[in-house]
Amino acid sequence: MEKSIETMWKEGFLNSDVLIVPKVNNLYDKKSLYIMTKFKKMFLKNIRGIVIGSILLCIGSYIIGAILAGSIVLIMMLYVAYTAYNEMKGLEKIDKGQSSYLFLKSFKDWIERSIDRYGRMYRFVYPILILTFYFGIWFSSSFEGMRERVGEHSDLFLGLHPGTTILVLSFAILMSIFSKVIHRKDVKIIYGGIVNKLDSALTEMEELRD
Amino acid sequence: MNNDFYSSSILPYAAIIIKICRAYTDTQEDFEDYYQEVCLQIWKSRNNFNGQSEWSTWVYRLSLNVNMTLLKKRKNNQKDSSSDLLAGEATEEPQAFADESLDKLYRAIRQLSEVDRAVILLYLEEKSYQEIADIIGTNSNNIGVRIKRIKERLKKILDGKVN
Repeated sequence: MEKSIETMWKEGFLNSDVLIVPKVNNLYDKKSLYIMTKFKKMFLKNIRGIVIGSILLCIGSYIIGAILAGSIVLIMMLYVAYTAYNEMKGLEKIDKGQSSYLFLKSFKDWIERSIDRYGRMYRFVYPILILTFYFGIWFSSSFEGMRERVGEHSDLFLGLHPGTTILVLSFAILMSIFSKVIHRKDVKIIYGGIVNKLDSALTEMEELRD
Repeated sequence: MNNDFYSSSILPYAAIIIKICRAYTDTQEDFEDYYQEVCLQIWKSRNNFNGQSEWSTWVYRLSLNVNMTLLKKRKNNQKDSSSDLLAGEATEEPQAFADESLDKLYRAIRQLSEVDRAVILLYLEEKSYQEIADIIGTNSNNIGVRIKRIKERLKKILDGKVN
């Protein structure tokens, strides 16, 4: 080493090209794409989780003798996963060529529309799942002994315990009524971190635009 | 961030930011990203500046913190996924300076740990041990020894004795 590091440092900066100030623009280009990529990854993971979970549930229901209920749940959840997958394709349609602000705005709009559509879908999905679980488990072969014991102590209606059935039905109706609110909470729990990042990036950009 | 703030409070200190960002990034694209992020963080944190130190000292501290954080994040992202946007940049052009010696020196500095890079940058900027300690947030007693060790390591790297 001929020169000392101090000399290398000092002399190096006499050359003006090293200290050229980069332009401060498109600040959020990468950040925006990163947020969306992360969201898509989580979304895909979630879809995979739904498929794997419902297959395991179906296997479980076969074991406890409620294969019909398990199959209904499996079909239902596969439908949810398929819808989610199609929904995700909509993300690809967002124009990446627009400004970061408009890009993130479109992304946020997509999330809002998606929550709305899912909320409507879950209006049917939640009660069907609850009732399928209830009927499936109640009429499963593993519950035969329990059914008989309940029948000895109270009158059954169409093989069901009226009080429990009314309770489960009420719960299913409530879930249907509040499906949008519940789904919004779900989204917040699963994607809260990334949605917060998105919101703060949008807020920052709005401040920067002022 | 308005132009007035950028022109009056950031641009005069751009050299500091550039020198630091160059030490924490390998490619021109990353360098520009880091520079912009530092500018944004200065603007966002401007109200936290309490005047207890010089504005330039505060800029040093903030620039180093932002760079170290970004580098850590990048390393984690690269570990997490090779397909990640931030990680998939192996095809980018590496930074290269017209001055060959400075280019070599920066390459050597980039082989140091994050904190050692900060220490040597501040030393090369002729900051006193006390100032270095204040910026890094450590005790000034050990700074001298640390600088000596870093310089020895840099010399070895520059002489090709260390990969």
